[in-house]
Amino acid sequence: MYCIETQNLSYRFSQEQQVLNKVNLQVPNGSIYGFLGPNGAGKTTTLRLILGLLRKQAGTISIFGKPFFENRISILQNIGSLIESPSLYGHLTAVENLRIQQVLYQCPKSRILDVLNTVGLSNTGKKKAGQFSLGMKQRLSIAVALLHNPSLLILDEPTNGLDPNGIIEIRDLIKKINRELNITILISSHLLSEIEKIVTHVGVINKGNILFQGKLSELQTKQNLGASIQIKTNNNIAAVNMLEAAGFPAVLDHEKIILPKIQEAQIAALNIQMVQQNIEVYQISHHQNDLESIFIDLINL
Amino acid sequence: MNFIHCFKGEWIKKKRSLAAWLVIIGGFFTPAIMIAIALYRSSATRAALLKKEYWTNHWLNSWESIAMFLLPLGIILSTSLVTQIEFKNNTWKQLHTSPQTFTNLFLAKLSVIVLMLLQFFLLFNLGTYLSGIIPILFIDDAHYPIANIPWKDIFYNSLLYFITSLPIIAIQYLVSLQFKNFLVSISVGLGLWVASIAGLAWKYSYMLPYSHGSLYYLKLSGRLLRPIPVIEMALAYFIIVIIISYILYITKKEKG
Repeated sequence: MYCIETQNLSYRFSQEQQVLNKVNLQVPNGSIYGFLGPNGAGKTTTLRLILGLLRKQAGTISIFGKPFFENRISILQNIGSLIESPSLYGHLTAVENLRIQQVLYQCPKSRILDVLNTVGLSNTGKKKAGQFSLGMKQRLSIAVALLHNPSLLILDEPTNGLDPNGIIEIRDLIKKINRELNITILISSHLLSEIEKIVTHVGVINKGNILFQGKLSELQTKQNLGASIQIKTNNNIAAVNMLEAAGFPAVLDHEKIILPKIQEAQIAALNIQMVQQNIEVYQISHHQNDLESIFIDLINL
Repeated sequence: MNFIHCFKGEWIKKKRSLAAWLVIIGGFFTPAIMIAIALYRSSATRAALLKKEYWTNHWLNSWESIAMFLLPLGIILSTSLVTQIEFKNNTWKQLHTSPQTFTNLFLAKLSVIVLMLLQFFLLFNLGTYLSGIIPILFIDDAHYPIANIPWKDIFYNSLLYFITSLPIIAIQYLVSLQFKNFLVSISVGLGLWVASIAGLAWKYSYMLPYSHGSLYYLKLSGRLLRPIPVIEMALAYFIIVIIISYILYITKKEKG
């Protein structure tokens, strides 16, 4: 069963501006789902629709197997969220910020200290949230989202604006939450590299359309399929002709020849053949597409 | 019960906020001025203390600046500041994803504003009482007033002043919920208040929503003799504007 499932979710801000086009999002239970796309792709709009912050125009949204709008209160009782920038009362302390949520969610007071410990903010004392660094604010926002022991955590670009240390901290925290508390996490980002180390599933969105959705391993398979051999010689045209005659689909790309991934023994044989035909081989290298380039390829389709 | 939880949450938010300070400062501002005046005009104060109408006149004088200027301006500012807490901190989205109905959230915030107004009335009346007796400590030969404190009248008039303030709360609440920019609600408030002051002499001045407190004061001080439905009009304005405000709030397309 999916924790979140949308069907044909569409949204437009104006007649001309279609932001989402029949988005079918499927977030499996217990997963860390990376929702990827460049800025303006429709990630935040999708998340705001899922949380009821935008009025739905077309399509359906089910969370925990129940339609969202008919079960808004009971569903929200089990969701923690952080949408875009931190939502904190700057004139209140960390404890006071959490106290507001504790009252609204009617969870035990002891949870305040628990979540402050989880995010490492138990020593902030009387310091106002407005005086926190951005990293501390993000961590406090995550504490707010975790306070009522939700089954689902929705985090919209939680590492935005953080320095490398802050990014690592938040990443480790997300992994810890998923591992220790078994919470399904939907996390959006515009950088695959930022979340590829923590996600189990990936959805790629661009211009309001879902371009890929599945396990991270499926994306990694694409990565292997995208691997190639690159060759540089003193006579690339002669080399390409030779390779094509030998049955290899070689392509000349600027100063190098590109071949699909082949066995190491085949590489050695091709090398011998080129040398025998007086082609000087300068370089043979194995090139593997990183996930980021696959992501870029997907959104540039 | 959920409404109580929402209300409690809203009450915590106003802690240390500018709106909360405004209530305290506003409540004691006029009494402080009254003490200064009483000390400056010590001989007049000494004589006034002996009069039977001392407390009635003292309360009426205290209400003058409050009813005409400070109360409308205070409500314009504090109502706008209460909703501004959410806009300024970018917290509407957090509030609207909490497991509470929009109705409860709307009413809880409104109730906090209304309770703050009651808090102001309490502090103001306490301050007015203190400003009536503190000068005695500093003026030679001044004695505790012989007049009895007209508690019943004070309570009754406070209640009616409270009702005359409700239209301002309702309109400010409506505007400040709709506009992120603090200046919009302040400008609307100041504009309507100036219009109300300018229109006080008008035959139908009670139609102006920010005029009811001033009109009630003028009526009480005997400077307005014609019968006008101030209280009825204030209640009607409050109910109608709050209903409109609620509809606009729950049908808002974007909730954070």
